[in-house]
Amino acid sequence: MNLLLGHPEDPCCAGVRARLEDHGLPVRIVAAPLAPPAKFTWRLNASGLASSLYPDTPDTEINGVLVRDTGWLEPDGWDAADHAYMQAELRAVTLAWLAGLACPVINRPDAALWYRPDASLLSWRRLLRRCGLPLPEVVVTSDPAEARAFRHRLAKGGVPGAVYTPLTGPPAGYLLADNEAWERLAKLQVRAPVCLTEPHGAAALACIVGNAVIWDRAPPPEAVALEPALLRFTTAAHLSFVEIALAPVRRGLAVVLVNTLPRLEHFALPARDGIFDALVTLLTAENAAVAPAAAVLS
Amino acid sequence: MILICGSLADGVTELVCSRLQGCGYPYRLLDLARFPEDYRVSWHWTEGGPEGWIATADWRLDLDAISGVYARFLGPEDRPQPPGLEPADAAALRAEGDSSLTALLEDLECPVVNRIGGGLSNNSKPYQTLLINRAGLSVPPTLVTNDPAAARAFHAEHGEVIYKSASGVRSIVRRVGPDQFARLELLRDGPAQFQAFVPGHNVRVHTVGERVFATRIESEAVDYRYAHLEGLTARLEPVALPPALEAACLGLAHAFDLLFAGIDLKETPEGEFFCFEVNPCPGFLYYERQTGQPISTALAELLHGSARQPPRAAILHPGSAHPDLS
Repeated sequence: MNLLLGHPEDPCCAGVRARLEDHGLPVRIVAAPLAPPAKFTWRLNASGLASSLYPDTPDTEINGVLVRDTGWLEPDGWDAADHAYMQAELRAVTLAWLAGLACPVINRPDAALWYRPDASLLSWRRLLRRCGLPLPEVVVTSDPAEARAFRHRLAKGGVPGAVYTPLTGPPAGYLLADNEAWERLAKLQVRAPVCLTEPHGAAALACIVGNAVIWDRAPPPEAVALEPALLRFTTAAHLSFVEIALAPVRRGLAVVLVNTLPRLEHFALPARDGIFDALVTLLTAENAAVAPAAAVLS
Repeated sequence: MILICGSLADGVTELVCSRLQGCGYPYRLLDLARFPEDYRVSWHWTEGGPEGWIATADWRLDLDAISGVYARFLGPEDRPQPPGLEPADAAALRAEGDSSLTALLEDLECPVVNRIGGGLSNNSKPYQTLLINRAGLSVPPTLVTNDPAAARAFHAEHGEVIYKSASGVRSIVRRVGPDQFARLELLRDGPAQFQAFVPGHNVRVHTVGERVFATRIESEAVDYRYAHLEGLTARLEPVALPPALEAACLGLAHAFDLLFAGIDLKETPEGEFFCFEVNPCPGFLYYERQTGQPISTALAELLHGSARQPPRAAILHPGSAHPDLS
């Protein structure tokens, strides 16, 4: 059986389910993996780890897991503090379960990924840089004079405005195109630093699945030249499924988006087909069905 | 110059600051109770790491002058509400400020105690237990389940069993007694974590860079940190670990990318050691005061750059055994 942790309306879950069913492979989409009918046991002792999620299907019969969501406990009927506690408990247990599964898990989360699924591009910056990927210029500042200096530096390079990117919440960017927008930004800076990025041109979108780099549309040659660096990044980050956008900035092409929960609706149909095929290949990879070995440092 | 990110209202941060002062190591305090609203920052990334500064009305610190960072983040209850803001807006702005700070700390080249990534493993105790086990340390037999029958069978197998939260929330260790046994049916609402009770003495190990301070705790309490709540006491004394175990503790801290860690062990009467947990933000004040072990001095030397420090690690990842996928 293959498990898709997520929601049936997620185009990724829906597409992968359809592909697996086409192959005659059993598949289940689960939004809350620990809720009934699950009867969960996770035992760790001197003989190793053994776990079981469903009474009718031992974990050893799970062929692969696609992680699209960390699970959610409906708050109805819970006191707010108790709900927060139970939510934390369920997430903690689900992480341990996924970490211990012997089958392919896409993406097999570590704690940093699990607890920060919306990590900003800024937090990926060090690893991207070390893998040889170019990045846009960024300023984080609560000083309006520094923001103005950044604006003038961009303007001198022929770039009007800058992009304000909140560091929390879902990925978003707001173009600061006129004086009024910069004045509003200055008011915000009195309260907290803001993250400003140089604007970029039209992005080339890639989805990396395992060792396959799948472009949304035919990419420019300089983007293709970065494929080895993209694969170095996904290997170093232990990601087997990630959406990355490359776009032109003043010094050339740069990474402007890293999304560890790729949005399939961003991709045209031919690319989506390639992504679904690659995901199914990964989920059903025979050579991955080995028990986790002893400690290996990443 | 050392950067301290924390609050003097917190005893641990206060101890670190006073130790730095005693050692004559200059530092600046970024008071997280007043951050970001009372600070000015400018951090700039082009092709390399961050450049820029942090300033208050009284001082300005260039990032390239920082020799080390000690960060101890505060809970929302320790951060006063800034005037003129709705609570939700204040929380959102604080979250933005904290995110910018953690992104900066992640990318500084100097020692940072501790970067946030490795410490997040402590939010899932069974996950961390799995990684500790894979790193080669013994862990107690552990069961996480929402099946009352499985819990009963585990209890029958091990006789004496404790339970504790799986997350970092409400994390107090308690023994499974008749009261808890009667409530096992409630497990169907959500799983709980059980462990075989390991008899013996608790040993708390603090690793600071390449240095190790081990403290043996003698207490009748199941969780010695809360011994006073049971009318019991805890006696602490420094202890030397077997060299292999000391090396394993250093390796574990290194693998979690923690320059400073509090590792909870237990030594059985037979001399076997079990590892329970790695704390990424140890409140070492209690141990230093009780034993006189120079933990804060070692930390001060690490931050000042006068102590040997391990190279920065890649964080232990559960999928390291699956290089083709994870």
